[in-house]
Amino acid sequence: MRKMLYVAGREFTTTVMTRGFIVGMLLTPALLGLVIFIMPRMMTRAAPKIEGQVAILDPTGVVKDALSSYLSPEKFAERRAKTREEIERQAPAELRQRAPAGADAAMRQSVETALGEVPRLAVTELPPGTEIEQAKAPLKTPLPKQGGDPNARLVLVVVHRDAVVREAGKDSYGTYDLYERGKIDERLVDDIHSGLREAIVSARLKESGLNPADVRNLTTVKRPESLTVTAEGERTTNTALNMLLPAGFMLLLMMSVMTSGQYLLMTTVEEKSNRVVEVLLSAVSAMELMTGKIFGQMAVGLLVLALYAGLGLMALFSFASIGLLDPILIVYLVVFYFLAAFTYAAMMAAIGSAVNEMSEAQSLMMPAMMVVMVPWVLWLPISREPNALLAVVLSFVPPFSNFVMLLRMTSNSPPPFWQTSLSIAVGAAGVYAALWFAAKVFRVGLLMYGKPPTFGTLIRWARMS
Amino acid sequence: MADAIVLKNLTKTFGETVAVRDLDLAVPEGALYGVIGPNGAGKTTMIRMILSILFPDRGELTVLGRGSALEAKDRIGYLPEERGLYKKMRVGELLVYLARLKGMSGQSVQRQVRTWLERVELGDCEHKRCDDLSKGMQQKVQFVAAVIHRPDLLILDEPFSGLDPVNQRVMRDIVLEEHRRGATVLFSTHIMTHAEQLCDHVVMIHRGEKVLDQTMAGIRETFDPRRILFEPLDPGADVARLAALPGVRSVVRDGAVWDLSLGETANPSAVIPAVVAAITPSRIEVRRPTLEDVFISIVTGGAAIAEDDGARLRAALRDGGGAHEVRR
Repeated sequence: MRKMLYVAGREFTTTVMTRGFIVGMLLTPALLGLVIFIMPRMMTRAAPKIEGQVAILDPTGVVKDALSSYLSPEKFAERRAKTREEIERQAPAELRQRAPAGADAAMRQSVETALGEVPRLAVTELPPGTEIEQAKAPLKTPLPKQGGDPNARLVLVVVHRDAVVREAGKDSYGTYDLYERGKIDERLVDDIHSGLREAIVSARLKESGLNPADVRNLTTVKRPESLTVTAEGERTTNTALNMLLPAGFMLLLMMSVMTSGQYLLMTTVEEKSNRVVEVLLSAVSAMELMTGKIFGQMAVGLLVLALYAGLGLMALFSFASIGLLDPILIVYLVVFYFLAAFTYAAMMAAIGSAVNEMSEAQSLMMPAMMVVMVPWVLWLPISREPNALLAVVLSFVPPFSNFVMLLRMTSNSPPPFWQTSLSIAVGAAGVYAALWFAAKVFRVGLLMYGKPPTFGTLIRWARMS
Repeated sequence: MADAIVLKNLTKTFGETVAVRDLDLAVPEGALYGVIGPNGAGKTTMIRMILSILFPDRGELTVLGRGSALEAKDRIGYLPEERGLYKKMRVGELLVYLARLKGMSGQSVQRQVRTWLERVELGDCEHKRCDDLSKGMQQKVQFVAAVIHRPDLLILDEPFSGLDPVNQRVMRDIVLEEHRRGATVLFSTHIMTHAEQLCDHVVMIHRGEKVLDQTMAGIRETFDPRRILFEPLDPGADVARLAALPGVRSVVRDGAVWDLSLGETANPSAVIPAVVAAITPSRIEVRRPTLEDVFISIVTGGAAIAEDDGARLRAALRDGGGAHEVRR
């Protein structure tokens, strides 16, 4: 036991002290953290000011005023207030409740600054009969660098004659043409399109003797927030979180399991190709060596898991959304990490012991990669239907069970407790089988040099020992 | 005295190949045994089985009174034939790690590491990375790893290969020192002079079978080629007439030296005065069998030569055999 711990200790320290690990595993979260820290500050930088002229040729005579009203600074401010309310409504209830004092104002401020100052647009009607080509000409003159020229023409709108009143003998209405200058804010163009649509539709309705407000009321059905009903009570359904939480947990599990497995493979191949393995085997048994290495690398994986999970928790804390996470899921994450990491590491130990160099390991890696890739491919269907037959069956097929069960548990309809327990039991049996197989291959493989083995060779070795 | 190693009918096969076949061996405690044999004879497989790195298909073994080396690993020191160290690790750290794996503990480990590095003239390498050392230096580091925990049984697989004569002497002195301390030493080698200089007892393995298991004195007696080397003072002397002397079977010229082959019953102490009386020598000596002669005779004489088949070996040596050809 003491020797196994020495092996594990060396495995852990030599792995985490390598430049590759420090750069890859520690620097990435550090950079991510930095981005999270810097982003809000970058967002406080105001969007460029928009000021200029929207020219309109309106033979109908009714569109211009409605568009002018739609594009007025007051209406812009009103629409933005609605957008902000919508964003706030989308944020989970826990976020709103737990947000520290002042956070609301700060968030509002950052939304405001992100959207930029309200555009100041002057809707100018061109005299009837103006040549379109002539009207387009100002679109070609360059804008002042800082923007903000009230006379600069940004857009030219040409409303068709039959946009509001149908011409005799035609089934459909006319529309409008829109000419914009190059490098114009797309959001502004969208606003103008919306304004024109609203102005033309209102004008058509009036022309048909209908009240636009009544029609709007008649055609609007307010979409309510859906509620998730559970035994513990009712809560607001958060679709985005329902998809992101399983994905986050799955990524954490995959990343930590694959990191530890990959390092285990590398160090095993290194020990074998360095021929240091025979010295080790004269001091410890093959089983002690393998378990020591697995434990050492599992600690490496756990460090990775703790780092990234810690980062995730920090992000949840900073957005005051920690309450969304059921703490028991963290416990299950660690349980499934151990099950998945043991299985994957055992496979890597077997492969590492069998090959002479890393390039030979590639051909044997396919089955091991499947363990991780299959749940990843099935992430979407499983999170959408966590209790479908496929998901339920895969929950009891190790080594996929560890990933699939965690996905299901983090979904919006977690499986019953008996399924979770059974999946853990089956996962543990899978670990035992993988370790048994790996131990046999490891013992034979470590001292075998020469032709790179196939998967069939590994099975023969397992039988042989 | 009890035996440090006992092997009984040990057999190990790899697929179709029989690496070791029905091997019996007993190495008494405190002995210094040399294992010789051509490449691929099964020496390393035998050593790995003794160390429980490999497990026999058949047969029994006892190591330091235990049924398996796994139960006595801390009392065994091993230098494998395939040298290997963690390239990126520092020499001192590596030796501390390996010493701890061998059951050493406490603060003394670091001190021991320094003492041993000084002993093998690597005192300034403690903080160097292993891949900064030359091959010979790496070999010495590995040698230190094998002896640092003062094992009761020291198994060395080709310990001197790749070392220059100065370092070979350093290693040889340490092996002898360990032997004097009471450790049982078993080492395999291709260099016959090392086996001759160091061992009290030699075991030879050929094609997986033991073909020789004797003390050095016993080997010299068993494989006495019964030959006298003679060089006349007068280069023009008629040496061929010595064949007529009683006990001399034949006289063969080999350059300036003449090889006198004696009959089975002839006594060299009676023949030599008669030769000297007949022709004045500038040099006359009884030819001693070298281990190399024995080795080559067995290897070239076929695998079927049994341990007690001394007469046939003697005949092979006397008739010139592979040894003579190789000497030329």
